[in-house]
Amino acid sequence: MTPISRDFAPPLKLIAPFFKWGVIFYLFSTLTLLFFKPTFSYEQMDVAGWMHLFLLGFVMIIIFGAMAQLIPVVLEVGHEVVDVYYVILPLLVLGILLMVSGFWLKPVLLPYGGLFVLIAMVIFAFENMITLKKSTLKTLTVKTVIWSNVYLLLGIVLGFVMALGLVGGVDIDISYLLKAHAYAVLGGYVVLTIMGLSLTLIPMFSLAHGFDQKYVQRAFRCMIVSVAFVFVGALLHMHWLMYIGYVLSFVGMVLYLWQIYSIYKLTVRKEMDVWAKFMIFAFFTLIVSLLCILLYFMTGIPSVQHASMWFLILGFIASFILGHLYKIVPFLVWFERFAPLVGKEKVPMLNEMYSKEGATVMFWFTVSGVICGGMGLLFESDILFKAGGSFLFTGAIFLYITMKKMLVYGV
Amino acid sequence: MCKVTKERVFEAISTVIDPEVGFNLVEMGLIYDAIIDEACNVHVVMTLSTQGCPLHQMIKQWVEEATQKIEGVKDVEVEVVWEPAWNISMADESVKKALGGI
Repeated sequence: MTPISRDFAPPLKLIAPFFKWGVIFYLFSTLTLLFFKPTFSYEQMDVAGWMHLFLLGFVMIIIFGAMAQLIPVVLEVGHEVVDVYYVILPLLVLGILLMVSGFWLKPVLLPYGGLFVLIAMVIFAFENMITLKKSTLKTLTVKTVIWSNVYLLLGIVLGFVMALGLVGGVDIDISYLLKAHAYAVLGGYVVLTIMGLSLTLIPMFSLAHGFDQKYVQRAFRCMIVSVAFVFVGALLHMHWLMYIGYVLSFVGMVLYLWQIYSIYKLTVRKEMDVWAKFMIFAFFTLIVSLLCILLYFMTGIPSVQHASMWFLILGFIASFILGHLYKIVPFLVWFERFAPLVGKEKVPMLNEMYSKEGATVMFWFTVSGVICGGMGLLFESDILFKAGGSFLFTGAIFLYITMKKMLVYGV
Repeated sequence: MCKVTKERVFEAISTVIDPEVGFNLVEMGLIYDAIIDEACNVHVVMTLSTQGCPLHQMIKQWVEEATQKIEGVKDVEVEVVWEPAWNISMADESVKKALGGI
């Protein structure tokens, strides 16, 4: 038998644990939401703990696992040292558990957790960079990968300094560093990465071709400059520079949305599967988040800003990731177990590898959770916020079951 | 004299299905040409719906294997081109209808 070419796909046993852990952290973070109140400050240790549980545990771990597969897709070259992903995951999991325990229970654990996370991310960024050097492509998505990795490193180093500051290792002004750290990691890494990947993944899954990339090119420039402005402005306490950065981010996100609309107009595939539904909801919540942040700058009401962040993180970012799990995980399982059987026996289609009903229930619980939770924050209603958390947790249970079934499909 | 025809090659490749969309490569319009020389060597010219498709290498391999199964075929070469770029107008009407494009 001719060996199957693996030029563009790492083995399932390497990537699957990222998705397993990511979903476990998602389940845990939606459960712990039930213990929070809709009024809070970003500087509260318990809030910081939850943010790290969700953003590092769910968002980052899933993105890292996805990047193990998507970097070769985007760069059209194989990984330089794909085996480093075997090391990255345990370091990240251990680091996250220590950090969250540090925020919630014993602050002395924070620098230890931070160190593990820092090492994992340095390895990840370094492997990405040396893989990038092999690629001859100079596409916008490639440039996005470069910038996002730079911001990831800056953000994580700053995070580690903050961890040392919180236990008294170094003397720092946490409130300003927090803004620089959050903007570099969230805006500079997560949002830039999602913007870049959107350009590859959305046209690929929706079969949209021949669109002009001018809007996203401008969006991309706006985001890079804005993150730099907020980062430097926060470190040097230059408020005016930070405000220019915020405005540029807003403009960048509007341009990005316009680009998505231009891709949507050329979409050939109109099928409304769970991925398509999640994409529509993700972009809808991004619009809501932008409207909330506009309202916040006009009114200064903290709850409006909290709602904006909620719709950005649990709405846009989480929905974008959750939707793609229903595309990426079946593909990885199919590639491992069924690709060698093509032409020899009947193999399943990717959309036959998960329960449509389970995915639909998960989608609607998630939508209800995001909307109720966001409204709870906006109106500072404990009941609405708790209802939102409950819906999200129920959706997460369905996700966990679906994911487990997908990963053992065909065994 | 080689008895393998272009139609026979297309028929063989039509057994290769894209697992994401569920259609075969021929009805998707991804197979542009099959050039057969007198010695029965086959040169397949095809494209993919997306550059950087993670199945790129594998689909090439499936096309090669499907063509190789035709009786009388000697060497098979599969070339993936990006010009002209694939678009939905190249697909069969049944595919366009199923995707919801028309």
